[in-house]
Amino acid sequence: MDCTSCDASSGLPARQDKPHTFFAHEKSSCPDCDAPIEARVVLRDGGVDQLLLCPTCGARERHVSDDAAAWVKSFLARGIAPDGLVGDHLFKHTTSTCPQCLALVEAQVVIRKGAVYFLKDCVRCGPSEALVSEDASYYVKAYSFARAGTEPLKFRGTVEHGCPTDCGTCDDHEQHTCLPIIEVTDHCNLECPICIVDNQYSNHMDPATFAKIIDGLVEAEGSCESVALSGGEPTSHPQILELIAIANRPEIGRVVLITNGIRLGKDRAFAKKLKELGVYIGLQLDGFTPEVHTAIRGRDLVAEKDAALAAIRELDLPTQLIFVATRGVNEHQIGQVVELFLSGPQFLSLNFQPVAHTGHGGGTLPHDPMDRLTIPGVIRRIDEQTGGKVNYTDFFPLPCSHPQCVSLTYLLRLDDGSNVPFARFVDFEKYSTLLRSSATLPATAEVEDALQDVIHEVFARQDEIERGPEILAALRRSLDEMFPAKPLSARDQVRASERQSKSIFLHHYMDRHDFDLERLRKCCHHYPQIDGRIMPACGFNMFHRGAAKGPNTPRARFGRAPFSLPVIA
Amino acid sequence: MLLDGRVALVTGGSRGLGRAICQVLAREGARVAFNYLRSETEAEVTLASLPGDGHSAHQVSVLDKAGLVELAKMLDTKHGKIDILVNNAGHGQVVPLALMEESDWDQMIDTHVKGAFLATQAVLRTMVRERYGRVVNVSSLAGVKMMQAPVHYATAKAALKGFTESLAKEVGRYGITINAIAPGILDAGVSDHLPPARREEYLRHCALRRTGTLDEAAEVVAFLASSRSSYMNGATVVVDGAV
Repeated sequence: MDCTSCDASSGLPARQDKPHTFFAHEKSSCPDCDAPIEARVVLRDGGVDQLLLCPTCGARERHVSDDAAAWVKSFLARGIAPDGLVGDHLFKHTTSTCPQCLALVEAQVVIRKGAVYFLKDCVRCGPSEALVSEDASYYVKAYSFARAGTEPLKFRGTVEHGCPTDCGTCDDHEQHTCLPIIEVTDHCNLECPICIVDNQYSNHMDPATFAKIIDGLVEAEGSCESVALSGGEPTSHPQILELIAIANRPEIGRVVLITNGIRLGKDRAFAKKLKELGVYIGLQLDGFTPEVHTAIRGRDLVAEKDAALAAIRELDLPTQLIFVATRGVNEHQIGQVVELFLSGPQFLSLNFQPVAHTGHGGGTLPHDPMDRLTIPGVIRRIDEQTGGKVNYTDFFPLPCSHPQCVSLTYLLRLDDGSNVPFARFVDFEKYSTLLRSSATLPATAEVEDALQDVIHEVFARQDEIERGPEILAALRRSLDEMFPAKPLSARDQVRASERQSKSIFLHHYMDRHDFDLERLRKCCHHYPQIDGRIMPACGFNMFHRGAAKGPNTPRARFGRAPFSLPVIA
Repeated sequence: MLLDGRVALVTGGSRGLGRAICQVLAREGARVAFNYLRSETEAEVTLASLPGDGHSAHQVSVLDKAGLVELAKMLDTKHGKIDILVNNAGHGQVVPLALMEESDWDQMIDTHVKGAFLATQAVLRTMVRERYGRVVNVSSLAGVKMMQAPVHYATAKAALKGFTESLAKEVGRYGITINAIAPGILDAGVSDHLPPARREEYLRHCALRRTGTLDEAAEVVAFLASSRSSYMNGATVVVDGAV
C-alpha cells in the first residue's frame, strides 16, 4: 500500500509496497545457533513470520503462525491487564537504551495502573524505568493500526550490523522517507534549553551541497510531498532563499521552513520573499507567556512570536504551528494554541511534540522520566482545555509511521469557517486510507475513493450526525475544489486540498528513556546527509548526530556510538 | 413469494404501467407505497386493488424534492427501510420538434429525468444505510433504439439509461443495484396517445406480432426488484417482443 503522503504524481516513478506489514519486535533466537536475538515480526501472506539477523549466521526467518488475524488478536489480548492486578503486567519486550550510557538494552514493556512503562536493567549502570505512554489502552490498540510501509526507489545503506548501526536507510528499514528534514545550518540565534540539536556554529550548507542532497532525495524517493529545511535556525543561513529556490521543483510538493520566527517577524522584505517562493512556514510556538518561552527557548519571545504571527496573517503564509509540550512548563497552554490554530485559515496544521530529552538542551533539561507528557497526555489536555471542541476520541494513530510515533486528527472546514473533526463522521478504523497522510488530504484516487464512501456514509446518516447537512455541504465543496473539471497541477492540487481541512498531529520523538528500536525501524521522518545517507530522525538524534556534518565539525556530545555495545539479553 | 418482506416505492403508481407494477409487486409480497400527482380517484382504485396489507398512496409530485424526502422518511420510519424504488412516473406526448414548445420539452425531461433523480436521492440514504437496494427505472424502447418517437420522449428515456448505468457504478458497492426496463409498445399507458399508423408499423416489425401487456412489463420489473436479479446491475432489459 503506497503511502498517500507522498503519492507519486503521474509521470513520476512509483514506490513499491513492502512485501509485508512490519508489526513489532519480540524476543527470539537464531534457528541455527540458538543465540538469543530480537526478531522483527511481520505479517505476510495471511501468516506471521519472524525476520532475524544473527551476528553469527546472518539473515534467518522463522514461521510463527498461519493465521495473522488470530495472532494479532492474541497479541492485543496480551495488553489487557487482569482485573484487580497489583503490580506490573508484562505486555511485550523490545530494545531500548540505558538512559546513562546509551547502550542498547532489553526493555520489558509493562502496564502499571493504566499506563505503560519500560523496565530496563543495564549491566553497567543498573536498573531504570521510564514512562512510555499515559494510556495503556491507546498504546495497545495502536498496534492494530499497523500497515505495510513502502520502499524508497533506492536504499542508501546496506544491512551489515543491523538497526540502528546501519543507518542510511538500509533495506531492512520499514518505511520510505515521508518527510525529509534537511539541516541547512548549525548556526542559531537562540540557545533553547529543549533543543535536540547540538549546534556547533561551524557550517552553513553551501547551495551545491544542498542541491546534491535534493537530487539524492528525488533519486531515492521519486517525489516528496514535503521537504523541511531546518537547522540550527535556517533563516540565519545567508543563502536560505537560494536553497529554497533549489528545493522548489516539480517533484517536491511543498518546501517547509522550520523557524523560530524571529527573522520572519522583523524582516518583512524577507517574509514577502518567502511568500513569493511559495514556502510553507513551520513556526515553533510553544506558549504565550514570558516564563514559558524562557523555560523552553531560553528567553522571553512573546513580542517576536506575535510579530511572526502578524506577518503570517498579513501575508497569508501557509503555516504549521509546532508546539513542544513539556510537563510542568507549557502544558496549560495547549488549549490556547489549539484555539489560535483554529482561528486562521493560514494555519494548516498543528504539530504537538511531547519533549524529547536528547541532544544539546533536551538531554540536560531537568526532567522526570516517570512523569512526562506522552501522546495520550497531550490529547487529554487538548480535550480538557478546548472544552471538548477537539476531544480524546478524535485522534487516531498514524499507520504510515510506527503507530506509537504519531497520532492525528483531521478537521473539516465547514462553510461558516468552523471546523469539525473527521472522527465525528468518519470511521477511521474502516477508512484508514484517510489517516496515512502527513499534513493534509492529498487529491489521490485512493483518497477520492475513500471520500466517496465517507460521503455516502454521512448522506445515509445525516440526521444522526451532529451538523450532518453542513458536513455534506462542506464535502461537496471539497470535491468541487479538489477535483474540478479542469485538471489541476500537482501543486494546485496540494493547495486545493489544504483549503478543505486542517490537521492536528502529535509526534513523539524518542530519547534515551523511551527509545524503542521497533519504532525507529518504521520511522518516516528522515534527515538526509551530505554523504548521501538518509537517516531516520530519532536514530540520528540519539546515535549519529554530529557524525556526518562538515569536515571541521566536532563530534556532538550525544553523537556516541553505543550501538557497538551488545544488547543485553 | 418473490418480494416477501420487501418495502417498495413506485412513482406514478395511480394508473397505467405504474398501477400494474404496484399490483405485481404487492402480489409478490411487497408492501407498496406509490405517489401520484393529480388523480386521487385512480389512486384509490390502485390502492384498493393491491393484495395484502401495508400499502399506501401519497399525493406528491416527483418534482417536489422536499415532499419526496418527507415521503421517504415517513416510509423509513414506518417500515424501517425502503428496499425497492421504481422510477415509473412519466407521460407521453406526440408532437414533432417543429411544433414543440419549450415548456413541452421541460415538462417531459423534468418528469422523467429530474423526477427519477429526486426520487432516487430521497430513498438512497436508506438503501446505503441498509446496504441493500433495488432501483428499477422505466425507460423505453424509444430510449435505446432508433425509432419514430417524439424527440423529447426519446431523449428523456435515453437519459434514464445513462442514469441507470452511471448510478449502478456509483452505488453498487453498497449492495444497491440499478437496472432499467425498456418496454416496446404496450396495450395501455403512454401508448394510448400513439397514432394508429405508428402502432401498425410497430406490429409489422415485432416478432410476436402484438403489443405487450402492462403486466408483462411489470413482471420484469418485479424480477429486477427482487434479490433473484442479484448480479444484474446497470442493465437495461428490453421488453418488446423482439422488434
